[in-house]
Amino acid sequence: MTLRVTRRQFFKLGAAGMATSSMAMMGFAPEPAVASIRHFKLTGAKITRSNCTYCSVGCGVLLYSRGDAAINNVDDIYHVEGDPDHPVSRGSLCPKGAGLLDYIQSDSRLRYPQVREAGSDEWKRIDWDEALERIARHMKDDRDANFVADDDDGNTVNHWISTGMLAASASTNETAYLTHKVVRSLGMVAFDNQARV
Amino acid sequence: MTHAFGNAPTGVMHPPEVRLPDDDHFARRARRLEELAERVAPLGDFLHFMAQLAQAQQVALERTTPSWQPGPETFSLALEHGMPPLNVQALRGDIGIRAELDALLDALELHVGQAQRPLLDGLRKLSAEEIGRLADDVLAGEAGDERTRGLMPLVAAALQVAWLRLARSLPQAPARPVGEVRTLCPSCGSPPLASVIESDPQYNGVRYLQCGLCATQWYLERSLCSVCEQSGKLDYLSLAQESDATAPLPAQAEACGDCGSYLKIFPRALDVDAEPLADDLASLALDLLLGEEGRYRRSGFNPLLIVEG
Repeated sequence: MTLRVTRRQFFKLGAAGMATSSMAMMGFAPEPAVASIRHFKLTGAKITRSNCTYCSVGCGVLLYSRGDAAINNVDDIYHVEGDPDHPVSRGSLCPKGAGLLDYIQSDSRLRYPQVREAGSDEWKRIDWDEALERIARHMKDDRDANFVADDDDGNTVNHWISTGMLAASASTNETAYLTHKVVRSLGMVAFDNQARV
Repeated sequence: MTHAFGNAPTGVMHPPEVRLPDDDHFARRARRLEELAERVAPLGDFLHFMAQLAQAQQVALERTTPSWQPGPETFSLALEHGMPPLNVQALRGDIGIRAELDALLDALELHVGQAQRPLLDGLRKLSAEEIGRLADDVLAGEAGDERTRGLMPLVAAALQVAWLRLARSLPQAPARPVGEVRTLCPSCGSPPLASVIESDPQYNGVRYLQCGLCATQWYLERSLCSVCEQSGKLDYLSLAQESDATAPLPAQAEACGDCGSYLKIFPRALDVDAEPLADDLASLALDLLLGEEGRYRRSGFNPLLIVEG
Protein backbone atom coordinates (compact mmCIF):
# COMPACT_ATOMS: atom_id res chain seq x y z
CA MET A 1 0.00 0.00 0.00
CA THR A 2 1.28 3.44 -0.83
CA LEU A 3 1.18 5.93 2.00
CA ARG A 4 -0.36 9.20 1.04
CA VAL A 5 0.26 12.07 3.40
CA THR A 6 -2.92 13.57 4.80
CA ARG A 7 -2.93 17.25 4.12
CA ARG A 8 -5.42 20.04 3.81
CA GLN A 9 -6.36 20.43 0.18
CA PHE A 10 -7.97 23.43 -1.43
CA PHE A 11 -10.36 23.08 -4.27
CA LYS A 12 -12.75 25.18 -6.21
CA LEU A 13 -16.37 24.17 -5.84
CA GLY A 14 -17.96 26.22 -8.57
CA ALA A 15 -20.82 25.94 -11.01
CA ALA A 16 -18.46 24.58 -13.69
CA GLY A 17 -17.52 21.55 -11.60
CA MET A 18 -21.08 20.56 -10.81
CA ALA A 19 -21.75 18.86 -14.16
CA THR A 20 -19.10 16.23 -13.41
CA SER A 21 -19.63 16.15 -9.63
CA SER A 22 -20.61 13.00 -7.79
CA MET A 23 -24.04 14.59 -7.32
CA ALA A 24 -24.64 14.74 -11.08
CA MET A 25 -23.13 11.28 -11.56
CA MET A 26 -25.57 9.92 -9.01
CA GLY A 27 -28.46 11.15 -11.12
CA PHE A 28 -29.35 14.42 -9.37
CA ALA A 29 -29.54 17.40 -11.66
CA PRO A 30 -27.28 20.15 -10.34
CA GLU A 31 -28.87 22.85 -12.51
CA PRO A 32 -31.55 24.03 -10.03
CA ALA A 33 -28.89 24.51 -7.34
CA VAL A 34 -26.61 26.34 -9.76
CA ALA A 35 -29.49 28.54 -10.89
CA SER A 36 -30.55 29.28 -7.31
CA ILE A 37 -27.44 31.30 -6.55
CA ARG A 38 -28.84 34.18 -8.59
CA HIS A 39 -31.25 34.82 -5.72
CA PHE A 40 -28.45 35.27 -3.20
CA LYS A 41 -25.71 37.72 -2.50
CA LEU A 42 -22.78 37.39 -0.13
CA THR A 43 -22.70 39.37 3.08
CA GLY A 44 -19.64 39.61 5.25
CA ALA A 45 -19.02 39.91 8.96
CA LYS A 46 -15.87 40.17 11.00
CA ILE A 47 -15.22 38.83 14.46
CA THR A 48 -12.62 40.71 16.45
CA ARG A 49 -11.15 39.49 19.71
CA SER A 50 -10.97 42.15 22.40
CA ASN A 51 -11.20 42.76 26.13
CA CYS A 52 -13.98 44.25 28.16
CA THR A 53 -12.64 47.47 29.67
CA TYR A 54 -15.17 47.82 32.46
CA CYS A 55 -13.11 46.28 35.23
CA SER A 56 -9.67 44.92 35.93
CA VAL A 57 -10.67 41.31 35.25
CA GLY A 58 -10.54 42.16 31.53
CA CYS A 59 -12.87 39.39 30.30
CA GLY A 60 -12.38 38.29 26.71
CA VAL A 61 -15.03 39.41 24.26
CA LEU A 62 -15.74 38.77 20.61
CA LEU A 63 -16.98 41.80 18.69
CA TYR A 64 -19.04 41.13 15.58
CA SER A 65 -19.01 43.81 12.93
CA ARG A 66 -20.79 43.91 9.63
CA GLY A 67 -19.10 44.75 6.44
CA ASP A 68 -16.34 43.29 4.35
CA ALA A 69 -14.14 45.85 2.67
CA ALA A 70 -14.48 44.11 -0.67
CA ILE A 71 -18.23 43.66 -0.63
CA ASN A 72 -20.15 46.27 1.31
CA ASN A 73 -18.12 48.53 3.47
CA VAL A 74 -20.30 49.16 6.48
CA ASP A 75 -18.45 49.34 9.76
CA ASP A 76 -20.95 48.58 12.43
CA ILE A 77 -20.65 46.46 15.57
CA TYR A 78 -23.87 44.49 15.91
CA HIS A 79 -23.15 41.80 18.47
CA VAL A 80 -20.86 41.22 21.45
CA GLU A 81 -20.37 37.90 23.19
CA GLY A 82 -17.99 36.38 25.74
CA ASP A 83 -14.88 34.76 24.27
CA PRO A 84 -15.11 31.07 25.17
CA ASP A 85 -11.37 30.67 24.56
CA HIS A 86 -10.34 33.34 27.05
CA PRO A 87 -8.32 31.63 29.82
CA VAL A 88 -9.77 33.80 32.59
CA SER A 89 -13.40 34.44 31.74
CA ARG A 90 -14.08 31.37 29.52
CA GLY A 91 -16.98 32.94 27.76
CA SER A 92 -18.67 34.47 30.80
CA LEU A 93 -19.67 38.10 30.99
CA CYS A 94 -21.17 39.98 33.93
CA PRO A 95 -24.12 42.34 33.32
CA LYS A 96 -21.73 45.19 32.50
CA GLY A 97 -19.96 43.08 29.89
CA ALA A 98 -23.20 41.63 28.56
CA GLY A 99 -24.39 45.21 27.99
CA LEU A 100 -21.29 46.29 26.04
CA LEU A 101 -23.16 46.62 22.79
CA ASP A 102 -25.35 49.34 24.26
CA TYR A 103 -22.30 51.26 25.51
CA ILE A 104 -20.75 51.06 22.05
CA GLN A 105 -23.89 52.29 20.36
CA SER A 106 -24.92 54.76 23.05
CA ASP A 107 -25.92 58.20 21.80
CA SER A 108 -24.12 59.80 24.73
CA ARG A 109 -20.90 57.89 24.16
CA LEU A 110 -17.82 60.12 24.46
CA ARG A 111 -15.95 60.00 21.16
CA TYR A 112 -13.59 63.00 21.40
CA PRO A 113 -12.34 65.51 24.00
CA GLN A 114 -14.83 68.12 25.09
CA VAL A 115 -14.61 71.07 27.44
CA ARG A 116 -17.22 72.95 29.45
CA GLU A 117 -15.68 76.31 30.18
CA ALA A 118 -16.18 77.88 33.60
CA GLY A 119 -19.53 79.67 33.67
CA SER A 120 -20.74 77.97 30.48
CA ASP A 121 -23.47 75.32 30.26
CA GLU A 122 -22.32 73.94 26.94
CA TRP A 123 -19.86 71.24 26.00
CA LYS A 124 -17.49 72.32 23.23
CA ARG A 125 -15.48 69.90 21.10
CA ILE A 126 -11.71 70.46 21.16
CA ASP A 127 -8.85 68.52 19.56
CA TRP A 128 -6.53 66.19 21.43
CA ASP A 129 -3.55 68.56 21.35
CA GLU A 130 -5.56 71.33 22.92
CA ALA A 131 -7.03 69.00 25.52
CA LEU A 132 -3.64 67.64 26.59
CA GLU A 133 -2.16 71.15 26.57
CA ARG A 134 -4.88 72.48 28.85
CA ILE A 135 -4.79 69.53 31.24
CA ALA A 136 -1.01 69.89 31.56
CA ARG A 137 -1.39 73.61 32.19
CA HIS A 138 -3.97 73.07 34.95
CA MET A 139 -1.85 70.37 36.55
CA LYS A 140 1.30 72.48 36.49
CA ASP A 141 -0.42 75.56 37.92
CA ASP A 142 -2.10 73.59 40.67
CA ARG A 143 1.08 71.68 41.54
CA ASP A 144 3.16 74.87 41.64
CA ALA A 145 0.59 76.41 44.01
CA ASN A 146 -0.04 73.45 46.30
CA PHE A 147 2.98 71.14 46.27
CA VAL A 148 4.18 70.38 49.81
CA ALA A 149 7.87 69.57 50.19
CA ASP A 150 8.06 69.49 53.98
CA ASP A 151 5.30 69.14 56.57
CA ASP A 152 4.93 71.29 59.71
CA ASP A 153 7.25 69.04 61.68
CA GLY A 154 9.99 69.45 59.11
CA ASN A 155 9.64 65.94 57.59
CA THR A 156 10.22 65.70 53.85
CA VAL A 157 6.92 64.56 52.31
CA ASN A 158 7.02 65.84 48.68
CA HIS A 159 3.31 65.37 48.11
CA TRP A 160 0.64 67.04 46.06
CA ILE A 161 -2.79 66.44 47.52
CA SER A 162 -4.96 69.00 45.74
CA THR A 163 -5.26 66.92 42.53
CA GLY A 164 -6.23 63.29 42.12
CA MET A 165 -6.04 60.75 39.31
CA LEU A 166 -8.56 58.14 38.24
CA ALA A 167 -6.97 55.62 35.89
CA ALA A 168 -8.64 53.13 33.58
CA SER A 169 -9.13 49.44 34.23
CA ALA A 170 -8.04 46.58 32.01
CA SER A 171 -4.75 48.26 31.18
CA THR A 172 -1.73 46.18 30.31
CA ASN A 173 1.00 45.77 32.92
CA GLU A 174 3.12 48.20 30.93
CA THR A 175 0.40 50.87 30.88
CA ALA A 176 -0.21 50.38 34.60
CA TYR A 177 3.53 50.74 35.30
CA LEU A 178 3.82 53.94 33.27
CA THR A 179 0.66 55.42 34.78
CA HIS A 180 1.98 54.75 38.25
CA LYS A 181 5.41 56.22 37.47
CA VAL A 182 3.97 59.43 36.01
CA VAL A 183 1.42 59.99 38.76
CA ARG A 184 3.55 59.06 41.79
CA SER A 185 6.63 60.93 40.57
CA LEU A 186 4.56 64.11 40.49
CA GLY A 187 3.85 63.54 44.18
CA MET A 188 0.17 62.79 43.68
CA VAL A 189 -1.32 60.62 46.43
CA ALA A 190 -5.01 60.51 45.55
CA PHE A 191 -4.90 57.78 42.93
CA ASP A 192 -7.47 55.15 42.13
CA ASN A 193 -8.53 52.82 39.39
CA GLN A 194 -11.79 52.59 37.62
CA ALA A 195 -11.78 48.86 38.32
CA ARG A 196 -12.91 49.52 41.89
CA VAL A 197 -15.56 52.09 41.05
CA MET B 1 -29.91 28.51 33.92
CA THR B 2 -31.93 29.76 31.04
CA HIS B 3 -34.39 32.58 31.40
CA ALA B 4 -36.06 35.16 29.21
CA PHE B 5 -32.92 37.28 29.00
CA GLY B 6 -30.51 34.52 27.98
CA ASN B 7 -28.29 32.09 29.81
CA ALA B 8 -26.78 32.70 33.20
CA PRO B 9 -23.38 31.09 33.70
CA THR B 10 -23.70 27.94 35.76
CA GLY B 11 -20.05 27.81 36.77
CA VAL B 12 -16.67 27.69 35.13
CA MET B 13 -17.00 26.33 31.62
CA HIS B 14 -14.94 23.19 30.98
CA PRO B 15 -15.77 22.10 27.46
CA PRO B 16 -14.37 18.71 26.49
CA GLU B 17 -11.47 19.10 24.07
CA VAL B 18 -12.40 16.12 21.93
CA ARG B 19 -15.85 14.58 21.53
CA LEU B 20 -16.45 11.15 20.06
CA PRO B 21 -19.61 10.62 17.98
CA ASP B 22 -22.76 9.23 19.58
CA ASP B 23 -24.36 5.88 18.76
CA ASP B 24 -27.24 7.56 16.98
CA HIS B 25 -25.07 9.97 14.99
CA PHE B 26 -26.27 8.82 11.57
CA ALA B 27 -29.91 8.77 12.63
CA ARG B 28 -29.72 12.37 13.81
CA ARG B 29 -27.94 13.35 10.61
CA ALA B 30 -30.67 11.61 8.61
CA ARG B 31 -33.36 13.60 10.43
CA ARG B 32 -31.52 16.84 9.77
CA LEU B 33 -31.06 15.98 6.09
CA GLU B 34 -34.74 15.18 5.78
CA GLU B 35 -35.61 18.56 7.30
CA LEU B 36 -33.16 20.35 5.00
CA ALA B 37 -34.58 18.52 1.98
CA GLU B 38 -37.89 20.24 2.72
CA ARG B 39 -36.29 23.63 3.21
CA VAL B 40 -33.88 23.72 0.27
CA ALA B 41 -36.05 23.02 -2.75
CA PRO B 42 -33.32 23.08 -5.44
CA LEU B 43 -31.49 20.26 -3.62
CA GLY B 44 -34.59 18.47 -2.38
CA ASP B 45 -34.14 15.13 -4.17
CA PHE B 46 -30.43 15.02 -3.50
CA LEU B 47 -30.79 15.77 0.22
CA HIS B 48 -33.66 13.31 0.50
CA PHE B 49 -31.42 10.60 -0.96
CA MET B 50 -28.62 11.60 1.39
CA ALA B 51 -31.06 11.34 4.31
CA GLN B 52 -31.86 7.78 3.24
CA LEU B 53 -28.17 7.08 2.91
CA ALA B 54 -27.55 8.36 6.45
CA GLN B 55 -30.44 6.23 7.68
CA ALA B 56 -28.91 3.24 5.90
CA GLN B 57 -25.60 4.06 7.59
CA GLN B 58 -27.33 3.87 10.96
CA VAL B 59 -28.74 0.44 10.03
CA ALA B 60 -25.32 -0.71 8.83
CA LEU B 61 -23.67 0.55 12.00
CA GLU B 62 -26.09 -1.39 14.17
CA ARG B 63 -26.34 -4.59 12.16
CA THR B 64 -23.05 -5.46 10.54
CA THR B 65 -20.27 -7.39 12.18
CA PRO B 66 -17.00 -5.62 11.47
CA SER B 67 -14.27 -7.51 9.62
CA TRP B 68 -11.80 -6.59 12.34
CA GLN B 69 -12.33 -5.82 15.96
CA PRO B 70 -9.76 -4.06 18.10
CA GLY B 71 -8.57 -5.73 21.29
CA PRO B 72 -8.83 -3.90 24.60
CA GLU B 73 -5.23 -2.64 24.47
CA THR B 74 -5.03 -1.96 20.74
CA PHE B 75 -5.14 1.80 20.93
CA SER B 76 -3.50 2.49 24.27
CA LEU B 77 -0.03 3.15 22.86
CA ALA B 78 -1.34 5.62 20.27
CA LEU B 79 -3.56 7.36 22.84
CA GLU B 80 -0.71 7.60 25.31
CA HIS B 81 1.57 9.24 22.77
CA GLY B 82 -0.90 11.59 21.11
CA MET B 83 -1.01 9.78 17.77
CA PRO B 84 -4.35 9.37 15.98
CA PRO B 85 -5.31 5.83 17.07
CA LEU B 86 -7.56 5.23 14.06
CA ASN B 87 -5.10 6.58 11.53
CA VAL B 88 -6.54 5.97 8.10
CA GLN B 89 -3.20 5.03 6.54
CA ALA B 90 -2.37 2.55 9.29
CA LEU B 91 -5.73 0.80 9.48
CA ARG B 92 -6.76 0.96 5.84
CA GLY B 93 -5.33 -2.52 5.16
CA ASP B 94 -7.08 -4.12 8.13
CA ILE B 95 -10.53 -2.69 7.60
CA GLY B 96 -12.68 -4.29 4.95
CA ILE B 97 -15.81 -2.35 4.15
CA ARG B 98 -17.60 -4.94 2.04
CA ALA B 99 -20.00 -5.89 4.85
CA GLU B 100 -20.85 -2.25 5.54
CA LEU B 101 -21.31 -1.53 1.86
CA ASP B 102 -23.62 -4.53 1.37
CA ALA B 103 -25.67 -3.53 4.40
CA LEU B 104 -25.94 0.02 3.06
CA LEU B 105 -27.09 -1.20 -0.35
CA ASP B 106 -29.64 -3.57 1.19
CA ALA B 107 -31.06 -0.80 3.34
CA LEU B 108 -31.22 1.58 0.38
CA GLU B 109 -32.66 -0.96 -2.05
CA LEU B 110 -36.30 -0.33 -1.22
CA HIS B 111 -36.05 3.43 -1.19
CA VAL B 112 -34.09 4.62 -4.18
CA GLY B 113 -35.54 6.08 -7.34
CA GLN B 114 -34.99 4.74 -10.85
CA ALA B 115 -32.15 7.12 -11.53
CA GLN B 116 -30.12 5.81 -8.62
CA ARG B 117 -30.72 2.10 -9.14
CA PRO B 118 -27.75 1.68 -11.52
CA LEU B 119 -25.47 2.96 -8.75
CA LEU B 120 -26.49 0.18 -6.46
CA ASP B 121 -26.18 -2.46 -9.16
CA GLY B 122 -22.82 -1.03 -10.21
CA LEU B 123 -21.47 -1.20 -6.69
CA ARG B 124 -22.63 -4.76 -6.14
CA LYS B 125 -20.69 -5.84 -9.21
CA LEU B 126 -17.40 -4.27 -8.14
CA SER B 127 -14.56 -6.49 -6.97
CA ALA B 128 -12.96 -5.94 -3.57
CA GLU B 129 -9.96 -4.52 -5.34
CA GLU B 130 -12.03 -1.96 -7.26
CA ILE B 131 -13.83 -0.90 -4.07
CA GLY B 132 -10.44 -0.57 -2.42
CA ARG B 133 -9.28 1.76 -5.18
CA LEU B 134 -12.37 3.95 -4.82
CA ALA B 135 -11.88 4.01 -1.05
CA ASP B 136 -8.26 5.11 -1.51
CA ASP B 137 -9.37 7.98 -3.70
CA VAL B 138 -12.05 9.02 -1.21
CA LEU B 139 -9.62 8.95 1.71
CA ALA B 140 -6.97 10.89 -0.20
CA GLY B 141 -9.54 13.57 -1.02
CA GLU B 142 -9.20 12.95 -4.74
CA ALA B 143 -11.97 13.28 -7.30
CA GLY B 144 -11.23 9.92 -8.95
CA ASP B 145 -12.39 8.84 -12.38
CA GLU B 146 -15.44 10.57 -13.79
CA ARG B 147 -17.17 7.29 -14.73
CA THR B 148 -17.06 5.92 -11.19
CA ARG B 149 -17.34 9.22 -9.32
CA GLY B 150 -21.01 8.65 -8.61
CA LEU B 151 -20.11 5.49 -6.68
CA MET B 152 -17.57 7.19 -4.46
CA PRO B 153 -19.99 8.81 -1.98
CA LEU B 154 -21.53 5.38 -1.30
CA VAL B 155 -18.09 3.90 -0.71
CA ALA B 156 -17.36 6.93 1.48
CA ALA B 157 -20.57 6.25 3.41
CA ALA B 158 -19.38 2.70 4.12
CA LEU B 159 -15.99 4.04 5.25
CA GLN B 160 -17.78 6.47 7.58
CA VAL B 161 -19.69 3.59 9.14
CA ALA B 162 -16.51 1.59 9.68
CA TRP B 163 -14.59 4.50 11.16
CA LEU B 164 -17.41 5.78 13.30
CA ARG B 165 -17.70 2.29 14.77
CA LEU B 166 -13.96 2.34 15.48
CA ALA B 167 -14.29 5.77 17.11
CA ARG B 168 -17.07 4.36 19.29
CA SER B 169 -14.74 1.52 20.35
CA LEU B 170 -12.03 3.84 21.68
CA PRO B 171 -11.63 3.47 25.45
CA GLN B 172 -11.51 7.25 25.79
CA ALA B 173 -11.43 10.32 23.56
CA PRO B 174 -7.93 11.12 22.32
CA ALA B 175 -6.22 14.28 23.53
CA ARG B 176 -6.54 17.48 21.56
CA PRO B 177 -3.98 17.49 18.74
CA VAL B 178 -1.08 19.89 19.14
CA GLY B 179 1.36 21.62 16.85
CA GLU B 180 1.14 21.23 13.11
CA VAL B 181 -1.64 18.65 13.26
CA ARG B 182 -3.92 20.83 15.37
CA THR B 183 -6.44 20.96 12.57
CA LEU B 184 -6.40 17.25 11.69
CA CYS B 185 -8.72 14.77 13.37
CA PRO B 186 -7.21 13.43 16.60
CA SER B 187 -8.95 10.09 16.06
CA CYS B 188 -8.20 9.26 12.43
CA GLY B 189 -5.99 12.03 11.04
CA SER B 190 -8.48 13.15 8.36
CA PRO B 191 -9.04 16.81 7.54
CA PRO B 192 -12.11 18.54 8.99
CA LEU B 193 -15.39 18.88 7.14
CA ALA B 194 -16.62 22.06 8.82
CA SER B 195 -16.91 23.75 12.21
CA VAL B 196 -19.84 23.99 14.54
CA ILE B 197 -20.28 26.59 17.30
CA GLU B 198 -22.11 25.18 20.29
CA SER B 199 -25.02 26.99 21.91
CA ASP B 200 -25.55 24.63 24.84
CA PRO B 201 -24.92 26.52 28.12
CA GLN B 202 -22.28 24.01 29.17
CA TYR B 203 -20.07 24.98 26.25
CA ASN B 204 -21.74 28.03 24.86
CA GLY B 205 -19.82 29.65 22.02
CA VAL B 206 -17.17 26.94 21.80
CA ARG B 207 -16.08 25.91 18.32
CA TYR B 208 -15.46 22.31 17.31
CA LEU B 209 -14.07 21.05 14.05
CA GLN B 210 -15.79 17.89 12.85
CA CYS B 211 -14.00 15.08 11.05
CA GLY B 212 -15.34 14.26 7.58
CA LEU B 213 -14.72 10.55 8.10
CA CYS B 214 -15.26 9.46 11.73
CA ALA B 215 -17.30 12.49 12.95
CA THR B 216 -15.03 13.08 15.94
CA GLN B 217 -15.20 16.71 17.04
CA TRP B 218 -12.23 18.61 18.41
CA TYR B 219 -11.73 22.02 19.88
CA LEU B 220 -10.31 24.93 17.96
CA GLU B 221 -10.24 28.53 19.14
CA ARG B 222 -12.82 30.86 17.61
CA SER B 223 -11.92 33.41 14.96
CA LEU B 224 -8.93 31.47 13.72
CA CYS B 225 -8.29 30.08 10.23
CA SER B 226 -8.27 26.28 10.47
CA VAL B 227 -5.74 26.04 7.65
CA CYS B 228 -3.07 28.65 8.34
CA GLU B 229 -4.06 29.55 11.93
CA GLN B 230 -4.00 33.26 11.18
CA SER B 231 -6.81 35.53 12.33
CA GLY B 232 -6.05 38.92 10.81
CA LYS B 233 -7.95 38.67 7.55
CA LEU B 234 -10.88 36.44 8.43
CA ASP B 235 -14.29 37.17 7.02
CA TYR B 236 -17.50 35.36 7.84
CA LEU B 237 -19.42 35.21 4.60
CA SER B 238 -23.00 34.07 4.38
CA LEU B 239 -25.84 34.13 1.91
CA ALA B 240 -28.36 36.92 2.01
CA GLN B 241 -31.52 36.19 0.16
CA GLU B 242 -32.80 38.90 -2.06
CA SER B 243 -36.37 37.95 -1.25
CA ASP B 244 -36.90 36.69 2.27
CA ALA B 245 -38.96 33.67 1.28
CA THR B 246 -37.55 30.89 3.46
CA ALA B 247 -35.70 30.69 6.74
CA PRO B 248 -31.99 31.17 6.05
CA LEU B 249 -29.56 28.32 6.69
CA PRO B 250 -27.05 28.79 9.49
CA ALA B 251 -24.10 28.35 7.10
CA GLN B 252 -21.21 30.78 7.07
CA ALA B 253 -17.86 30.52 5.33
CA GLU B 254 -14.90 31.31 7.57
CA ALA B 255 -12.81 32.76 4.77
CA CYS B 256 -9.16 33.65 5.29
CA GLY B 257 -7.45 36.35 3.27
CA ASP B 258 -4.03 35.11 4.35
CA CYS B 259 -4.20 31.66 2.77
CA GLY B 260 -7.19 32.17 0.44
CA SER B 261 -9.25 29.25 1.76
CA TYR B 262 -12.54 28.84 3.56
CA LEU B 263 -14.16 26.32 5.85
CA LYS B 264 -17.85 26.39 6.62
CA ILE B 265 -18.94 27.15 10.14
CA PHE B 266 -22.40 26.53 11.60
CA PRO B 267 -23.37 28.54 14.70
CA ARG B 268 -25.99 26.53 16.59
CA ALA B 269 -27.19 29.86 17.98
CA LEU B 270 -28.72 30.37 14.53
CA ASP B 271 -30.12 26.85 14.23
CA VAL B 272 -29.80 24.50 17.14
CA ASP B 273 -30.19 21.39 14.95
CA ALA B 274 -27.31 22.21 12.60
CA GLU B 275 -25.20 19.15 11.77
CA PRO B 276 -21.96 19.88 9.91
CA LEU B 277 -22.19 17.26 7.16
CA ALA B 278 -25.89 17.71 6.48
CA ASP B 279 -25.73 21.49 6.57
CA ASP B 280 -22.63 21.51 4.41
CA LEU B 281 -24.48 19.65 1.66
CA ALA B 282 -27.57 21.83 2.01
CA SER B 283 -25.57 25.06 1.78
CA LEU B 284 -24.05 24.18 -1.59
CA ALA B 285 -25.24 27.55 -2.91
CA LEU B 286 -22.71 29.25 -0.62
CA ASP B 287 -19.88 27.20 -2.18
CA LEU B 288 -21.13 27.94 -5.66
CA LEU B 289 -21.34 31.66 -5.03
CA LEU B 290 -17.88 31.70 -3.46
CA GLY B 291 -16.59 29.64 -6.39
CA GLU B 292 -18.08 32.18 -8.78
CA GLU B 293 -16.58 35.06 -6.87
CA GLY B 294 -13.19 33.34 -6.95
CA ARG B 295 -11.34 34.84 -4.00
CA TYR B 296 -11.35 31.74 -1.80
CA ARG B 297 -10.97 28.01 -2.29
CA ARG B 298 -12.69 25.38 -0.22
CA SER B 299 -10.73 23.36 2.35
CA GLY B 300 -13.59 21.34 3.86
CA PHE B 301 -13.49 17.58 3.24
CA ASN B 302 -16.97 16.19 2.65
CA PRO B 303 -16.65 12.71 1.11
CA LEU B 304 -20.36 12.62 0.22
CA LEU B 305 -19.95 15.33 -2.40
CA ILE B 306 -16.98 14.90 -4.71
CA VAL B 307 -16.07 17.57 -7.17
CA GLU B 308 -13.13 17.85 -9.48
CA GLY B 309 -11.30 21.13 -9.22
